[in-house]
Amino acid sequence: MNLKKAFCIALITAVVGVVGWELYWRSQGYIPTIDDNKALWAIQRDRVDTLDTDAVVFLGSSRTLYGIQLDTWEKETGKRPVQLANVGSSPLPVFHDIVANTNYSGTVVVGVAPGLFFSTTYPKAQPWAWPQARVDHHKNRTYVQRLNHQLSLPLQQHLALMSAGEEALDDNIDLKTLLKQIKVGNRIPEGMPPFYKFGRMTTLDRNLQMTDRTVTDTAFAHTITKVWEFIGKTSPAPDKAATMAFFLKDVKAFKARGGHLILMRCPSTYGVRAGENFMLPRQDYWDDLVEQSDVMAYHFEDYPQFKDLKCPEWSHLSAEDAHFFTAELAKLMLADKAIINPQTN
Amino acid sequence: MLFNSLSFIVFLVIVLGFYYSTYFTWISKKRMLLLASYVFYGLWNPPLILLLWISTVVDWTASKRIANAKDKSRRKLWLLLSLVVNLGFLGFFKYGDFVLENFVALVNSFGIAYTARPMDIILPMGISFYTFQTMSYTIDIYKRKAKPSKTFLDFALYVTFFPQLVAGPIVRAKDLITQFYKEKRATSDQFIWGVFLLTIGVFQKVVLADTLLSGVADDVFGSSELLHGVDAWTGTLAFSGQIFFDFAGYSTCAIGIALMLGITLPDNFRYPYGSIGFSDFWKRWHISLSSWLRDYLYIPLGGNRYGITRMYVALMLTMLLGGLWHGAAWTFMVWGGLHGAYLILEKLQKQYLPFQITKWNGVFLAFITFSCVNITWVFFRARSFDTAWQLLKSMFYLQPNGLKILDSFSIIKVCVVIIVLFLCHWMMRNTSLKTLSKKASPWVIGVFWAVLFLLIVIAQGSGEQFIYFQF
Repeated sequence: MNLKKAFCIALITAVVGVVGWELYWRSQGYIPTIDDNKALWAIQRDRVDTLDTDAVVFLGSSRTLYGIQLDTWEKETGKRPVQLANVGSSPLPVFHDIVANTNYSGTVVVGVAPGLFFSTTYPKAQPWAWPQARVDHHKNRTYVQRLNHQLSLPLQQHLALMSAGEEALDDNIDLKTLLKQIKVGNRIPEGMPPFYKFGRMTTLDRNLQMTDRTVTDTAFAHTITKVWEFIGKTSPAPDKAATMAFFLKDVKAFKARGGHLILMRCPSTYGVRAGENFMLPRQDYWDDLVEQSDVMAYHFEDYPQFKDLKCPEWSHLSAEDAHFFTAELAKLMLADKAIINPQTN
Repeated sequence: MLFNSLSFIVFLVIVLGFYYSTYFTWISKKRMLLLASYVFYGLWNPPLILLLWISTVVDWTASKRIANAKDKSRRKLWLLLSLVVNLGFLGFFKYGDFVLENFVALVNSFGIAYTARPMDIILPMGISFYTFQTMSYTIDIYKRKAKPSKTFLDFALYVTFFPQLVAGPIVRAKDLITQFYKEKRATSDQFIWGVFLLTIGVFQKVVLADTLLSGVADDVFGSSELLHGVDAWTGTLAFSGQIFFDFAGYSTCAIGIALMLGITLPDNFRYPYGSIGFSDFWKRWHISLSSWLRDYLYIPLGGNRYGITRMYVALMLTMLLGGLWHGAAWTFMVWGGLHGAYLILEKLQKQYLPFQITKWNGVFLAFITFSCVNITWVFFRARSFDTAWQLLKSMFYLQPNGLKILDSFSIIKVCVVIIVLFLCHWMMRNTSLKTLSKKASPWVIGVFWAVLFLLIVIAQGSGEQFIYFQF
């Protein structure tokens, strides 16, 4: 057998195959995206160790990621914040990590999505395990993992076929997900409805924006609302006592060393807001949290400018509304002297 | 560093660039390989290179002293030093917590309330492999079966050679050190074959083990419920495929990468799931470990030289310790013990119930062997006896009322992969990939190769660690 000939045939076929695969997925509307994985998060977490006291760090869940636009915040406040929020996560493990493992004493804005914030302190539950895995990765990551991430970034930024994400979404195009789409019979009950990507990382420091399709294609947005309905129906009851106790202990320690904490409630609308009002009424959860934390707090329902904001899939702001929300929130916080603009002060 | 990672591609290209550069002498190239091997290892956890250095220096010194000493007791003393250091490292880093846990359990069983803080020791990657490799060198020098390495550089490279450093094959000194004495260059055919093997190895790991099988195995072995029999069998079959593709994939990569440098490493797997009987299985599965255990444990324990009973005891002890080598848990001991029992039963069958193996009963016997091996994997993969026992109950009582956690497609997918795996191993058991490829047209090999590569790209592996790294 002629190995050189075999190698040439393999090389040409592989190149044609990879180019064809890339072109096919681009024709299906896929574009290169940065994966919001633990390695990307760890780089931002690393920045906290050396931040000044006039810095702002955002924690929370996906509402904080979608709702706070870093460019707009920087424009309004003169300083680019650090984004450490995580999708589908409680902010408690990350706040605990900052309190316990750094000397940071600047501003931390904690986004409160009640369903996640008050969900659990059980280490194996998804809202806790997911952010904790990122905290652990930051602590334990090896040099080779850092190198792999740096090498993967140019590929993620230029190839649509690199769509496999840490989040197992149903429109990923890696082999595992593609095979998962094949359904044969109904041996086990249907689980969560298909969950598609509805946002896109636009910068390496984790600025997330809702895609235009989610705003304009109501059928697509409806696939996301069905997921929220499923989660709402199947989630265990909130564990207010444990989550509050855990958080308040860290709040006390953070304030004691001069840290400045702000609580923030990003908009949710329609069915999700109704569900939250039913399961986690504001006065029992948010108001009590604010009172016991004794920190400045911003709830979207308290400000007329946020009254008309509507979430296309009931839980997150569109990119356009997120810019507005970020700018207005920054103005409010500056006016209240909750934060300062280092360029004007 | 993992073979299935972007950093390794960059690393390999740089190493090959220096290796085939005409500006360097062979000694410089060997130094570069040694340095590259330390970088390969150290990018994971730099301080743990110290262990490699200590192991290298101790075995280099001990082996030289053994080779030069005429006094038998001095030779023995140096051998003992090497064994104590190597087994000491292994014992402390791998079995420290296990020993402590069992000590606490033992003390508690006497009614003494004692608790100990776990030591939380980091397990240095590949420590079981490189300690066994260096020990084999010193023991072979002691037994005068091998000559000492000509230079420290050759020996250090033998201990640290990056393609096989963290998960084998465990190579004997006579098979590797001698290859470092003269300048090595791969021929173009060797180089291309090496790249082909690397592709096959990564395909086995990324596509077959991680993408097609690991999810099902994780779901089944991670379940705390009593499962339906079909689910339990599917999960066990998935793991038997996963562990083969994961480990054989690593060995295939290692052999391929070494070949790209013009260095030959021995086969570590020869289609083990096509084995007829368990002694055949251990001649085909993790060959470098089973031959190590045979030469440095089973034979010193008496082997078959002191009667049947002693032979069975030696066999069982070897397999139990072989099980413990894989991990610090009693479940691994049971895995080893089951294999020991199989081997003893097979020997008894050969003695009292001999029969001819034909091509007709061969595939049936191979299937029986494969099924029995599958049962042992339950103990290997389960993190506790409760899980293992629960799964075995599901597998053998078939539990029609057990919980169904796998969808039909996952079951079909695993069954197809495992049936193809078994049939391939059966058909390939007396041949090799190299022999087969010689008969194939370049077009067939080329297109097959491209398909493997494309599937690796589409699978987009997340750089998951090889299972055997933890051993």
